Amino acid sequence: MSGQRVLVVDDEPQILRGLTTMLRGAGYDVVTAANGADALAKAAANPPEAVILDLVLPDARGTDVARELRSWTEAPIILLSAVEEEREKVAALDAGADDYVTKPFGVDELLARLRAALRRVAQPAEPVIEIADLRIDVANRDVRLDGERLKLTPHEFDLLRVLAQNQGKLLTHRTLLREVWGPAYQVEAHYLHVYVSHLRRKIEPDPQSPRYLLTEPGAGYRLVDPTNI
Amino acid sequence: MSRVVRLLVSAGAIAAATGLAYALRPAAPDVSLVVLYVLPVMGVAIAFGVPYAVGAAVASVLVFNFLFLPPLYSFTIRDSENWVALGVFLGTGIVVSELAARAKRRAVTAEQRQREARLLAEISTYLLEGRSLGEQLGWIAKRTAEILDVREAEIVLGAAGEPKAHRAPHPLVAGSTQIGTLYTDEHSEPNLDVRRRFLPALASLLTVASERERLSREALEAETLRRSDTVKTAILRAVSHDLRSPLTAIATATGTLRNEQLTLSEADRRELLETIDIETRRLTRLVSNLLDMSRLEAGAAPPEPELWTVDDLIWQAIGDVDGRSRIEFTPVEAPPVRVDAAQIERVISNLLENALKFSSPNAPVQVRVTTTRAEVIVRVVDHGPGLPAAELERVFDPFYRHGSDGSGAGLGLAIARGFAEANGARLWAESRPGQGATFGLALPAVRAPVEVAA
Repeated sequence: MSGQRVLVVDDEPQILRGLTTMLRGAGYDVVTAANGADALAKAAANPPEAVILDLVLPDARGTDVARELRSWTEAPIILLSAVEEEREKVAALDAGADDYVTKPFGVDELLARLRAALRRVAQPAEPVIEIADLRIDVANRDVRLDGERLKLTPHEFDLLRVLAQNQGKLLTHRTLLREVWGPAYQVEAHYLHVYVSHLRRKIEPDPQSPRYLLTEPGAGYRLVDPTNI
Repeated sequence: MSRVVRLLVSAGAIAAATGLAYALRPAAPDVSLVVLYVLPVMGVAIAFGVPYAVGAAVASVLVFNFLFLPPLYSFTIRDSENWVALGVFLGTGIVVSELAARAKRRAVTAEQRQREARLLAEISTYLLEGRSLGEQLGWIAKRTAEILDVREAEIVLGAAGEPKAHRAPHPLVAGSTQIGTLYTDEHSEPNLDVRRRFLPALASLLTVASERERLSREALEAETLRRSDTVKTAILRAVSHDLRSPLTAIATATGTLRNEQLTLSEADRRELLETIDIETRRLTRLVSNLLDMSRLEAGAAPPEPELWTVDDLIWQAIGDVDGRSRIEFTPVEAPPVRVDAAQIERVISNLLENALKFSSPNAPVQVRVTTTRAEVIVRVVDHGPGLPAAELERVFDPFYRHGSDGSGAGLGLAIARGFAEANGARLWAESRPGQGATFGLALPAVRAPVEVAA
């Protein structure tokens, strides 16, 4: 059986061993690397379909490895991070990593994140995106909830569109600001929080406990299908 | 001085004045000579007090009248002016004796106060010497007994003055607070004036001293807390990586084993179980290292020294280490050492683990014992990469890690240093890069003729 190839990068031999067994058991082909240089060499020799990357490596920052990989491959990158590495984690997400799990993580959680990341890459861009009761017609800038048309401002629409086109993926504050307001526009993150809160009032059945537009504290936002978590 | 002696001395003084009066008789009118008796009356007043002086004045009048005033050798007086002279003398004598006695009392009081002031100054200097107040109380009580003119005295601190058998309690009160109680033996009554003056001052000094002691105790506690805070920060830092990595490996392994959707071979399962085993032991070691470290830093691991031979300690340490087959040790004759066996074994086993970790998997680690005049020196020699000179001291810092080797929290050598120093031993590293590292542990040798159980 030849599954999708996953490159696993971690300097802890026992973690590497556990992840390898787990991923093989789930049907993936696994390539391992214990440091950044090894990871880049192995990725170049055998381009992986996904990368699981420890944020702290003996010879390099995970952020730099993520940026290097992103320069030539679209393969999703999932970070293994620790609670106190918040800043580094956001930097790595900004540099092109797709998602993260916090050590120690649940096996199911990591496998689900990996599946979702691989699925996203396989998805072509669609003119109409449907997420549960939410229907977003990108071409006509038309958003309906339960068939009812929602009135969104242009920025609110763009914010929803970017999140929807990356459904399930964690988008950092910086990525969202860049995608919605443009690279030259230096908007503060709290503008974003205000727009998100407005958007939630329009699309969420209960804006106090959002089901579609989730906050990843300190990192960014993610739009999910509440019927498929 | 008994009353008889005082009376005799008084009589002697009057006799001397009489002698002088006889000698001066040709030079002055008889009646004027009565003035000479003012001298013995004043002397008696100073020496024995006013009642004796009044007696002496009356006696002087009688003697003078008998010997010098006509009719001679009788107590009758013929001339009326002599009555006046004797009356004036008697009045003068009594007033002078009162004044003299008062001056003397003042002098005595002044001297006593000076003594008290001197003693208080001495006590306050003594209290500043830094010994604990409890140790100093004995001396202070002894000096207080001297100044109060009592045989024995004892000071007990505390607000409640408990009654003691055959002891008279005197509360030591500063302001409105009782700092303690002074007990004197019940037979000697301390001078009331001195007690009233001296005891409040003493109580104030003791209050200041006990306050100072409390403050310095609190400062020490605060310092201990601050140090343990530093340790806590370091521990939290260690937790971030060193606890999480094994936990992550274990969580991954158990999660994989329990997940029924994953396809695992028998070999996979064995490997995952082995991972759990390895990482659990690593966690256990780390936790006990962290505990030891924090106990050492907080000074909560006092050694319990006993007499041991170095051979015993080394064998025991080798027994604690994984990979003991690679350790080479030949016992030698050496004097015994007085150390806490568990702690020094820990030092040696940490050195051994460190040496094994930094050697290639088959390289031996040697343990050598040498003896100098004052010390028994244990050397753990490895054939690993060695240490650059700049790191020879830093390797003993807590959480310091040599190279990028990910395993271990960097606590082993710090703990070894801590236990070594707690036992009065020295621990150091020596190395030439590329030639391996040697860790030396110098334990003070017990050279005295001590019986060692065979």
